[in-house]
Amino acid sequence: MPRVFITGLGFVTSIGNDAPTVTRNLRELRHGFELYPPFQKPDIPCKVVGTIKDFTTDSTDPEDWTFPARYKIKRELLRSMAPNGLFAQCAMLQAIDDARLTEPDISNSVTGLYAASGGSPYLTHYHHERLLKVGVMRCSPLGIVASIVGTLNFNLVAAFKIQGASCGFSSACASSAHALGYAFDDISLGRQKRMFIVGAEDGNVDAILPFAGMRTLSLQTDPNLASRPFDAARDGFVGTGGSTVLVLESEDEVVRRGVQPYAEFLGWGQASDGYNVAISHPGGSGSAASIANALRAAKVAPEAVDYVNAHATSTLIGDISEARALRSIFNSPATRPLVSSTKALTGHGLSLAGAMESGFCALAMREKFIPGNAHLTTVDPECSGLNLPRTTENRAANIMVKNSSGFGGANVALVFQRA
Amino acid sequence: MPDAAAPSNLGTNKPVPSGPKPFAPEDEVALREALKRCSPSTFEAAVQFRKTGNAEHVPAVVIGVVERFVEPDLRIKLKDAGDDLRLIEDLGIDSLTMMEIVILVEDVLQMTINNDELRNLRTVGDVKTFIDCKIRGLPLPKPTKFLPIEHIGAVMPMQPPFLFLNEASVSSTAANGKYKISGQEYFLQGHFKDNPVMPASIMLEALGQLAVLYLLEGAPTEPGKAVSPQTIFFTGCEGVRAHRVCKPGDILSLSIKPKRMKMPLATFEGSIRVGQEKAVIAEEITLTYAFVDAVNAPLPINGTVTPEGAKTPEAAPAPTPLRAAINA
Repeated sequence: MPRVFITGLGFVTSIGNDAPTVTRNLRELRHGFELYPPFQKPDIPCKVVGTIKDFTTDSTDPEDWTFPARYKIKRELLRSMAPNGLFAQCAMLQAIDDARLTEPDISNSVTGLYAASGGSPYLTHYHHERLLKVGVMRCSPLGIVASIVGTLNFNLVAAFKIQGASCGFSSACASSAHALGYAFDDISLGRQKRMFIVGAEDGNVDAILPFAGMRTLSLQTDPNLASRPFDAARDGFVGTGGSTVLVLESEDEVVRRGVQPYAEFLGWGQASDGYNVAISHPGGSGSAASIANALRAAKVAPEAVDYVNAHATSTLIGDISEARALRSIFNSPATRPLVSSTKALTGHGLSLAGAMESGFCALAMREKFIPGNAHLTTVDPECSGLNLPRTTENRAANIMVKNSSGFGGANVALVFQRA
Repeated sequence: MPDAAAPSNLGTNKPVPSGPKPFAPEDEVALREALKRCSPSTFEAAVQFRKTGNAEHVPAVVIGVVERFVEPDLRIKLKDAGDDLRLIEDLGIDSLTMMEIVILVEDVLQMTINNDELRNLRTVGDVKTFIDCKIRGLPLPKPTKFLPIEHIGAVMPMQPPFLFLNEASVSSTAANGKYKISGQEYFLQGHFKDNPVMPASIMLEALGQLAVLYLLEGAPTEPGKAVSPQTIFFTGCEGVRAHRVCKPGDILSLSIKPKRMKMPLATFEGSIRVGQEKAVIAEEITLTYAFVDAVNAPLPINGTVTPEGAKTPEAAPAPTPLRAAINA
């Protein structure tokens, strides 16, 4: 079975728009939160967002958007993109550059692209409103492909002339972790030699605010306190957007191209809670099963895991559920892995989260550090029994697990090894 | 006749019942927003059109909108472009961009364009002619048709051995055809002795035949009317020059363009090439023609803006359809 490696990364995130910046902020535990201007209204209870800097996408017209000058994107491409498509386009360009891929490496039958975003509620809203106001025949012909779930893969597959497998994944906050898992399968089954995995979200009012209806958003007004996974005082998650792209390649491609991978992707697993549409299983049963499946597939013993990048979003129920799952798998106090949630720095990227945090794991492996738990002062007693470092440890982890969960009780765990 | 153009309610204080609604300040704001990425002259032309309904401003609006959707490095092509500039091949406009253009034009000129009307727009000239016809409430130009010999033989009053077209394409603004001199033409036996040369008079005839085909297949007509093949005759020609001797084996590339059309006369310019070589030029070939009732009525007009006067038959004489088309 071909081995699978991570060979390229691209980031547009609340903690940085390139790998060096992201690495520094992860290591130094600097968050990317701000009081988000559109939320500073009396009728909006939440105030803080993990904002994307150096991009403006607050117009429904992509030609109004601004982005760093190093990215040249033609109108022909922009016109069918949602904000998350723009972020992903830029992250793709970084990842291609980072993996030192040439055009023939990208556009061929054994290179595919899997993507995950929640679509663009923002543009869906705009186009539907326009449809009702001016009639369907005056609506943009590209309104659909810019809006619906799948907008990411439609746009990127066309823009980068991808000819291999392409698909969108929709399991809410586990989406891009699922995309990584299935991309791993495609390479290890020999179907593809290279896969781009793209997670992205708009991270704007329409993408984040609806979660306030579910009472899952933090109402904190202090950006330094809003996202506190595992902390007793946490009160919900902070939304964010952006994009992360990972390049996965088979071992023979790594050798052929002579590139130095970030990490090896050893395997993955998934399992479902079968419990509730939106509430995590209180005992974390699905999450525990998915981690167990992933470790078995990767042929890694729980004791061998050095670090778990937790899903923990800073919600009341979710963090406890995950803590229970982790305790049940990593049950030997002597060999417990370090656990941290980098959502304390970035906020919760929804469909983007799994890819973004897998990208963080890859950076941390290469740069030999393990990010700590920012903003954690008092561990929730329900989350005790985990090895939760408050500060970054400057040592290399050999095995990392990225844990993810989404609505409907979908759970995915990914296992990486230092390359 | 122009007096009849006055609306029947002129002199009363009843509001004019039809016609474009007045151009309000908020319309100007919306127009400015809609055209914010177009040149200032595009906006000015659109304002003038919306205020006056004068179709003279339409080409500037249409070109301005097309320009806005063309990649910046290709825009230079539009500067001195002829109407032959092709949307896909020359300007890189795909069908989705075409729709974007249409939606903006619809919005700016307050008109409605149907999907099936778009398919035949291949050049900048096609677009201008199309929009102009819509605005003026004229029949839409016919798309370029490619006619095989069977079709040509079926519609033409001339028949072999006196038909000098093997194939042809006809649009509302031009016709092009080909004729291969086979060497079997009966007159070559005597023109000349032991030296077959295509007579210049026959080459002029071939251009005339292409003009006939244009009148039958390409020329815009009046609603419910068609050009009758029995009514077409040669009346004159001017500025005919032969530049090249044409012999059996040569393929004549013929083209004609209407210059003026006013019943009962239609005047064309024509030329024949063999490969890249000029063979014959005719500055003017004039034919007479007449309409008869069509068997199949042409498509209804669905432009929503019809300038006053063009709406009722007794109003001011509308320019003949072709004039409108070729002036666009």
